[in-house]
Amino acid sequence: MGTEKEKSDLLQGTLDLLILKALQAEPMHGFGLAQRLKQMSAEVFQVEMGSLYPALVRLEKQGWIKGEWGVSDANRKARYYSVTAAGRKQFEEEKAQWSLLSGTINAMLKAT
Amino acid sequence: MRWLATTTFYLKSLFTKRKLEAQMAEEIRAHVELATEANVAAGMSPTDARHAALREFGNVASIQERTRDEHGWLWLEHLRRDLRQGWRMIRKTPGTSTVVVISLAIAIGVNAVVFSWMRGLVFRPLPGVPQASELLLVEPRSDSGSYPGASWPEYLDLQDRLTALEGLLAYRMVPLNFGLPGHEERTYAQLVSGNYFQTLGLRPALGRFFHPEESVQPGAAPVVVLSHDFWQNHFAGDAGVIGQEVRLNERPCTIIGIAPEGFRGTFLGLTYDLWLPATMAPVLLASADELERRDLRGYSLLARPRPGEAAAARVQLAGAMRDLAVAHPETNTGMQADLLPFWRAPRGAGRLLLGGLSALQGMMVLVLFVICANAANLLLARATSRRREIGVRLALGARPRQIFTQVLVESLLLGLLATIIGFALAWWGTDALRAVPLPSGFPFKIDTRLEWEGLAFTSALGLGCTLAFGLLPAVQAARIDAQLLVRVARGAAGQSRVHRLLVALEVALALLVLVTASLSMRSFLETRQSDPGFKVSGVLLGAFDLAGTGSDRTAGLQNMDELLRRLKASPGVTAAAIASWVPLDFHAMPAAGFKVDGRASGEGDMDRALSYAVTPGYFLVMGLPLVAGHDFAGLLAPDAQPQAIVNEEFARHYFGSAPALGHKLVGKKLAYEIVGVVRNSLYETFGEHVQPMVYLSYRDRYVSYGQIHVRVQDPAAKLAPNLGRMVREINPAITLYDVRTLSEHVDKNLFFRRIPARMFAFLGPLVLLLAAVGIYAVVAYAVAQRTAEIGIRLALGASGGQVAAGIVRENLRVVWLGLVPAWLLAVVVMLHMRGGVLNATVLLGVPALIVLMATVASWLPARRAAKVDPMIALRTE
Repeated sequence: MGTEKEKSDLLQGTLDLLILKALQAEPMHGFGLAQRLKQMSAEVFQVEMGSLYPALVRLEKQGWIKGEWGVSDANRKARYYSVTAAGRKQFEEEKAQWSLLSGTINAMLKAT
Repeated sequence: MRWLATTTFYLKSLFTKRKLEAQMAEEIRAHVELATEANVAAGMSPTDARHAALREFGNVASIQERTRDEHGWLWLEHLRRDLRQGWRMIRKTPGTSTVVVISLAIAIGVNAVVFSWMRGLVFRPLPGVPQASELLLVEPRSDSGSYPGASWPEYLDLQDRLTALEGLLAYRMVPLNFGLPGHEERTYAQLVSGNYFQTLGLRPALGRFFHPEESVQPGAAPVVVLSHDFWQNHFAGDAGVIGQEVRLNERPCTIIGIAPEGFRGTFLGLTYDLWLPATMAPVLLASADELERRDLRGYSLLARPRPGEAAAARVQLAGAMRDLAVAHPETNTGMQADLLPFWRAPRGAGRLLLGGLSALQGMMVLVLFVICANAANLLLARATSRRREIGVRLALGARPRQIFTQVLVESLLLGLLATIIGFALAWWGTDALRAVPLPSGFPFKIDTRLEWEGLAFTSALGLGCTLAFGLLPAVQAARIDAQLLVRVARGAAGQSRVHRLLVALEVALALLVLVTASLSMRSFLETRQSDPGFKVSGVLLGAFDLAGTGSDRTAGLQNMDELLRRLKASPGVTAAAIASWVPLDFHAMPAAGFKVDGRASGEGDMDRALSYAVTPGYFLVMGLPLVAGHDFAGLLAPDAQPQAIVNEEFARHYFGSAPALGHKLVGKKLAYEIVGVVRNSLYETFGEHVQPMVYLSYRDRYVSYGQIHVRVQDPAAKLAPNLGRMVREINPAITLYDVRTLSEHVDKNLFFRRIPARMFAFLGPLVLLLAAVGIYAVVAYAVAQRTAEIGIRLALGASGGQVAAGIVRENLRVVWLGLVPAWLLAVVVMLHMRGGVLNATVLLGVPALIVLMATVASWLPARRAAKVDPMIALRTE
């Protein structure tokens, strides 16, 4: 049990960033979001629902996304999440941070 | 702004809990349906599609739970659930819970009681005085390091010099006869400087306090302020007493005011009835010149520094004392002065109490540790017996942190219960102390109420303990690996190591507490039974003071002589004498300066020894035999050579094996010839080292006061009520006060040893019992864990006795592990505490008792295990 927790902890920050990214284009429901994330990562990421739903609540709590009930293409009731203005700002900040971090780490890994 | 969004979210969640819950379920359902549709679209059969969707989604309950965690209201919900669960566990194991709660409550209670006494002494030594913590004692210090007090002229000088002070006040204690028409009684008063009440910052409850000019002219202002209690008790709180005349030591005085309620005067631990201007001393007492003499250091000085100027006051004080030493070399050579917080007062009951109380508090904290270790052990055993339950909950998706908080909340519940009961005990305990009969004839009183500091202290203790004993089981429980449950009772090894460590610790602490407790009990009993050197039983004491009756030395000596002659002739009286001091008194015994044969032996210009005045026949009354020489000459014998009688220790110290008789002790005014040597006895306290002692005669060293000592044939207590009447019949001018037997007086000295001794007498057995319970719990638990193993051994032919003995042996090894280091520590402490004397009975008895108790505590569960049917034992897993 302990190992699973560590992994989700590790991914938590990145997951929030990826959710914000995925929602930039259009509002999405949970299932759609999961599919989209899988697709975005070229099937490398398997997003766990046990991480996704708590993350959605967490982001909503921060005021970065907003959930509303809507109707799907197949005429099915679902909860759609959209990014708020604060969420967009947060996304830009986190993206910049992530670029800096990943760039630095890449540079360090390449250094001989 | 983010906090606003977050807060709104929390609040919304809090009030729409059910809606959110439904929404979450709905959302998950939608997710699964969408996924099913997608699977169907990908070509699966509807049933397969749904199963695949559910499988992919994962553990719905667990995900719901974790999503719920993100909502704010959850911790509240968890707490409620944990509390309910905790309460259920407490009720399910009433035995363990009761032991934990009661033992902890007692420990917290006694700690709070001792703390409240300490607080009364240290933090609130001056009840009723505003900003009392700002007040500092100004204490002249001699080059030998003692604090002899200040003289009145010195006070006036210092008051002029110390401009960094808002005020400097002076006071000294005097016993006074307080007379209303037809009634006279002994009261305790403080002679004070004119600015006394003003500097303390007090307002009269009625009337007024002294004007500054009332303490300038000796005898000019015969005015008195009464304490609130005295006013209530003697005048029923009548407002008409202001302006009324009363007689103090036969002198008329006018009541001008009533002190505020709760104010008791300025002397650690004591309560006063009256306050008078110090300038009344020459009129009320025989010491007419005390306001001029610099060698009479009877006054205590108390200063209130201006805000932020305490350091400047210190500098001024040092300078003033230097100048005084130059101006008055005969009294001030080598004199410096210290500023001390009030609770560190060098004179009075406080110092005596404080030492004892600090030791007691230390011991009580140790007791608390034992009890915490015990509670940890019991809870650990209980938590371990719940491994299976916890494992199941972990397997069902509970997270370690939840298990951790839940077990901790259980402990907190126990701690909370214990704290509440402990506080109630402490409340009752401080009340009980106030109800303890206090030494008679002494205005002793400490403010021991439990107020918010007591409550805070108790709660802090309770919380600290709970964390101390609750953390370990909680950590252990959270570390349980659900996977391991499948395998049989593995992973218990680490736990039993913790158990053993706790048992060893508990045994070690128990040994320390018990050794200290029995030493304290023993020394208390020893002092009760020990021979103080004089015969305690059969002696009646009564104090008197001829000051204010107008009799001078000659008349005073005549009065005393006649009184003693007629007392000796009274039926039932075998001997009578007067002494200016009674040994083993509350206060330190006075000392006198002298040079043996005109030469000082030390570096100072005078030697010092304990000294007081007695009348001829005193040694007969006290049962102290003269080993050489003879008694003092009669009180009325013509003035000839002043005489002194010394004790054996004095003779040994100054003259070795040479005879002491005939040598001269040269004092400030007179030279005394040693006419007798008397046996050593105790002077200041039980357990003291033998001290040199000089007795002088009333004839040579007259004082107007004294204590009548009467040796009687019947039990002394029987005659006590009549002594005052007998004396009054002989001389109506003499009022006896504080009539008591010598053994009562001696018991008073033991008073402050008795409180700790009683606490130890109660707590010692409790600690032993708790250690036994702790060991029993651990062994019983360990045995239960090993039922299968024991079954195998029994099946393989081991006898029940062998198995039980093996278990006992194993546990005793742990007990020794704690016992040996603690025992060594006890030896070191004892060597330090009792001046190198080891007490064999205690050092061997206590460990023997603990080993015996440990054997019984492990034998009981071991024997039960050994009686188990092997087949049943093997089937238990």
